[in-house]
Amino acid sequence: MSELLGFRAVEAGYGEARVLHGIDLAVGENERVAILGRNGVGKSTVVNTFLGVARLRAGEVRFRGAPQRSLQHFTAARAGVAVVLQGRHIIPNLTVRENLLLGAAVRRPGAWNLEGVFELFPVLRERADTPGTALSGGQQQMLAIGRALMANPALLVLDEPSEGLAPVIVDELAVVLRRLADGGTGLLLIEQNFGLVRRVAERYYALSKGQIVDQGRLADLSLAKLKEHVAV
Amino acid sequence: MLLQTLNGLVYGGLLYILAVGLVLIFGLRRVVNFAHGSLFMVGAYVGYAIATHFGNFWLGLVVSVVVLAVLGVFLDAVVFRPLQREDPIVTVLVTFGILLVLEDAVRTIWGKDFLSLKPPAALAGTVQILGESFPTYRLFVIALAAAVAIGLSLWLRMSRIGLFVRASSVDRTTTAILGVNTDRVSVLVVAAAGVSGRVSAPVLALSPCMGRLILIDSFIVVVVGGLGSFSGAFFAALIIGQLHNFGVVYLPWAATMIPFLLMVGILIWRPSGFAGQHV
Repeated sequence: MSELLGFRAVEAGYGEARVLHGIDLAVGENERVAILGRNGVGKSTVVNTFLGVARLRAGEVRFRGAPQRSLQHFTAARAGVAVVLQGRHIIPNLTVRENLLLGAAVRRPGAWNLEGVFELFPVLRERADTPGTALSGGQQQMLAIGRALMANPALLVLDEPSEGLAPVIVDELAVVLRRLADGGTGLLLIEQNFGLVRRVAERYYALSKGQIVDQGRLADLSLAKLKEHVAV
Repeated sequence: MLLQTLNGLVYGGLLYILAVGLVLIFGLRRVVNFAHGSLFMVGAYVGYAIATHFGNFWLGLVVSVVVLAVLGVFLDAVVFRPLQREDPIVTVLVTFGILLVLEDAVRTIWGKDFLSLKPPAALAGTVQILGESFPTYRLFVIALAAAVAIGLSLWLRMSRIGLFVRASSVDRTTTAILGVNTDRVSVLVVAAAGVSGRVSAPVLALSPCMGRLILIDSFIVVVVGGLGSFSGAFFAALIIGQLHNFGVVYLPWAATMIPFLLMVGILIWRPSGFAGQHV
């Protein structure tokens, strides 16, 4: 299985502060991986590092096995890694349709297009011409996922996708993510909601104080260990 | 009355084009660009120099457009990009410094006296509109400003790059994370903003401070229209263009105050302007 995203001995942070200390991780094609951890342990900094938002101080970030000398914000997207950011980050002056089209800024060959996203999330078709930020929280999450899919990514990274969503919407989200995974899209889920993680991911990394303290198959994760890593 | 309305349209069109440049540069680089007025002024002088030297108005127009595009790209690389993470006051001071330097350079080369460029022969006469004479060249400027304004709006609304520009202007980081090289978009926009400043030159008498004077009204347009809003800037420019012209004719003692009074009134009524984000 070829590697899509890899970290080797990554030290990263913001300004002079280091948040990540010697992180090693790898996500391969068609894999479903979760990064677990409580608030403030550095989960989002993992994402921010390969997006060029946090500063890479040491170590190596690889896309498709290729070490990246310079991490620009757009590097990941161009390597086939699309990200659904925490907080969704819907562009407020664009309509739903325009937000989706923006997601196709880097377009790899693949099945996802505007029509495909509208079929996956019919409510987005109904509200295609309204401003993206006029949608409800759950609909905005659908929009953020649909926007990421427009690039036909090999790996879809979702940072706290269940945040602020009602349980019933989280259930729907889990179904959608499983469908995507079954369709061949790799998933990296940064999440505290173990219910969602358990239904989507097959492998995990657990993060604490900026270090990976545990990893393995989710099926092998005991309840006691789980309570250490996330809010259940 | 009709002539004043048409003159107001000319001025409003110019303000809109300049204001769009300011809105774009602020959105993409978070730079309040005081140097924008000096691009307008340099464009006018370069056009004047080429047109008088070669005796060809249109050549002057084309060359000055190219010069401003190059100057815009240069400013973006050397000034705006390095300054985008600096404190706003730093960018204001630096761009204001560029304005002063360019004004002084123009004063050194062409002198401080007013200059005027004759319109080309084809546009030199006047036309009768409802019994009143109106310079053909000014009608040309109205048409050109309208064409540029419509073209710019269509470009922003309909094109793929326009979509990137609109997205970058409100959330540059997210747009880049989606795969857009926002630095390239910014270069394009700053060049286009520089070019837009060129349209107006022969309408006004050329003087080294011409950029500074229209820049103030352009900033008022941006604030009244709403920071970051192109449609807001359009309506604000039309209103301020008319107020400016009617003010000069009917209330000359208050003409310079009127746009400021409008701005104060609008900000009290709607602190975010007609259609923008909070100022």
